[in-house]
Amino acid sequence: MLSVDGLTVRADSAELVHQVSFAIAPGERVGLIGESGSGKSLTALSLMGLLPEGVTASGTARLGERDLVGVPESRIKDLRGRELSMVFQEPMTALNPLMRIGAQVAEVMTLHGRSSPEARARALDLLGRVRLPDPEQIFRAYPHQLSGGQRQRVMLAIALANEPRLLICDEPTTALDVTVQKQMLELIAEVAPALLFITHDLAVVASVCERVLVMYGGRVVESGPIREVFTRPRHRYTEGLLAASKLTPRGTRLPTIQGNVPPAGHFPDGCVFRNRCPQATTACEQVPALTGDGHAHACWHPAD
Amino acid sequence: MPTHAGTPLIEARDLTRVYRRPRTSLTKPGAEVHALRDVSLTVHRGERYGIVGESGSGKSTLLRLLCGLDQPTGGSIRFDGQEIAGLPERRLRFLRENLQIVFQDPMSSLDPRMRVRDLVAEPLTALGLPVGDRVAGLLDAVGLPATAADRYPHQFSGGQRQRIAIARALAPRPKVLVADEPVSALDVSVRGQILNLLADLADELGLTLVFVSHDLSVVRHVCETVAVMSRGEIVETGPVDDVWAAPAHAYTRTLLQAVPTLEGLL
Amino acid sequence: MKGRVNVALLVGAVLVALVGLAAVVSFFWTPHDPTLVDAARKLREPGGGYLLGADKFGRDTFSQLMVGARTTLYVGIVAVGIAAVLGVPLGMVAGMTPRGWLSELIMRVNDLVFAFPALLLAVMLGAVYGAGTLTAMIAIGVATVPAFARVTRAATLQVMVTDYILAARAAGRRRPAIAVRHVLPNISSMLIVQASVSFAIAILAEAALSFLGFGTRPPTPSWGRMLQESQELLFSTPRLALWPGLAIALAVLGFNLLGDGLRDYLDPRLRRIREQAEPPANGATR
Repeated sequence: MLSVDGLTVRADSAELVHQVSFAIAPGERVGLIGESGSGKSLTALSLMGLLPEGVTASGTARLGERDLVGVPESRIKDLRGRELSMVFQEPMTALNPLMRIGAQVAEVMTLHGRSSPEARARALDLLGRVRLPDPEQIFRAYPHQLSGGQRQRVMLAIALANEPRLLICDEPTTALDVTVQKQMLELIAEVAPALLFITHDLAVVASVCERVLVMYGGRVVESGPIREVFTRPRHRYTEGLLAASKLTPRGTRLPTIQGNVPPAGHFPDGCVFRNRCPQATTACEQVPALTGDGHAHACWHPAD
Repeated sequence: MPTHAGTPLIEARDLTRVYRRPRTSLTKPGAEVHALRDVSLTVHRGERYGIVGESGSGKSTLLRLLCGLDQPTGGSIRFDGQEIAGLPERRLRFLRENLQIVFQDPMSSLDPRMRVRDLVAEPLTALGLPVGDRVAGLLDAVGLPATAADRYPHQFSGGQRQRIAIARALAPRPKVLVADEPVSALDVSVRGQILNLLADLADELGLTLVFVSHDLSVVRHVCETVAVMSRGEIVETGPVDDVWAAPAHAYTRTLLQAVPTLEGLL
Repeated sequence: MKGRVNVALLVGAVLVALVGLAAVVSFFWTPHDPTLVDAARKLREPGGGYLLGADKFGRDTFSQLMVGARTTLYVGIVAVGIAAVLGVPLGMVAGMTPRGWLSELIMRVNDLVFAFPALLLAVMLGAVYGAGTLTAMIAIGVATVPAFARVTRAATLQVMVTDYILAARAAGRRRPAIAVRHVLPNISSMLIVQASVSFAIAILAEAALSFLGFGTRPPTPSWGRMLQESQELLFSTPRLALWPGLAIALAVLGFNLLGDGLRDYLDPRLRRIREQAEPPANGATR
């Protein structure tokens, strides 16, 4: 349904996302994992046509029959919020503080051609569907009267309002408390028609998604079914990341990846991970291709 | 596991902190918010003490009180036998020399207009202690090159900035290091480096560690003792392994179940 | 975002530089003595060494404009200086103790001064101490204090809630040191913007005062007084009003554009976008 091929994002001379390709089938939940500077958020924003000024995308991305990349803003605007929609990290700033919740949910539907009474009725219905307690009261409330978790549910209701074919979530629970996060993740997994879920948290992605793409330095370095990638990682970065995210008992040293994540656009040539990789050799000065069916990896010295 | 004989280093008794919301009516004063209710805790010399709680649990308020950055509405805090509650800043020098803080977000806790050299030396210059050539030594201790001293914070990655913050905190040779969510703003691949660094430094320098986090599993890796906070109160406290294995309070159980773990999911 | 120039900043800087250049050069050289009264040159048309002609007393307009730029900058610098020296510390004190009585007192007195018309203050001061450039500067300066105090207070409030202020307190810094070492450097960009906008207002105020006869006194050339002296000849010799009017307008425009341009240039949010687009040059890996 969504197919992305050779997506590249650049700002001036720096290439921030390089030749990213993947596909999402209807009903599929795909995770996009990466740390700061990995290009995961830029990948999502380029699908939404929401890249910041001065940043451009090339390559192709199709949702059904429609092109998402390299088409005029007016065409994307029509799709955004209807065919695909997005939930952002920060629920505090994403809602208009002066508008009642119900009106904000209804607005996205009237914008895309629904009648006002119908939109209002559906908005109320949606607030119930994202399991907000007492939807009628929330409908009349202002954003500041809601907790962070409730606001993020409202954002989800807005994203789902026009029954999009694809839902993109960018760190939707990072700003929430862990006890709230769990319910939110379950809800997203349940209601998403098809999901692209962006996060830095391996455990979160494992609890929501079926398939995962691991990004580092603007490239997809490994992809495959979650269980396989997380139990038998092939790329050395994925391997290191998995090891680093397990907390060993007190008094023992935590496994680490050496060095720091370079700033965006300053990753090494060839394999982007080679300056931090314990296995790196001169072979890694060449760019490794993403190879493998199902479970793919881009590494010259993959783990077994 | 070390035993903690002798006098406690930090002893808080019945700490209460009430904030008043800005007034919303002309006739009535603003509503009172009880950020902290009758909180007591004891941290011994050399102990690694964890405080766990979510937003609004009061852990940040407690931290500010322990660090002498805010005044309690009621209760007492003794640091090394001396009362600090109610003391004005000019009489808190003994606390500042002996207790330093590493903040959550190294992007915002380092003044963007200052060079690393001045940031690291600030606790020394502020307390009138000699700086000498300590900066290079401190940077080395946290794994940064001496050349870092002449740069500005924005030229470093998140992990490196947290190293700068740790070097700064260690400058006056404190007895206690308070770490407020020191790794929650960092990438997973560097989180381990910072936690290892903190553990090494605590071992080498014999530091007492007060470690605040929303993540009980991180606290379990770092600390021996934990206090679980919810709604301004400590609901459970004890050895972290006991709390982890058999949480007594319902809230602790909820917290433990809510955190997704890879081990549990795969 | 390479190659994209901040047009406001550029134009503003050029206009301000022109005024500055005219003022500096006037110390060493002017085409003619700007104060020399010569009946033979009365209302002389432009040309022949008199670029913009001469006024009703036969004084060279171009030379007067050059020396007038000096007066304009002098008044602006002193007035903005007074406003900043008084307003910034007051604003910082108010911003660093937002709930104290002192803060309340400062801001209420501020409101009082703000409500008092600057021109009226100048006229009153002029009546008591005699009209002159100094009186005008003090009046304009004092009237600008509240603007500085307010901007400073707002900026200080923003800085005071940041983590690095908390970190400085935890490091043992006392309030005065925090003010000088952390608050001031971090609000400086906003103050620069405020200074340049206030400068424009001060120029305008000085011109108005001189026009009314409460500002710079003869024979010192001043753009405002040039306007006033040309008013009776407005219809017969309009160029006499045109040139000082244009000079005032361009100088005010210049400082306003400079302020706007600096605001865009120094805005931390915009700067962050720029830095993302052009990562720091020290990344040695590529």
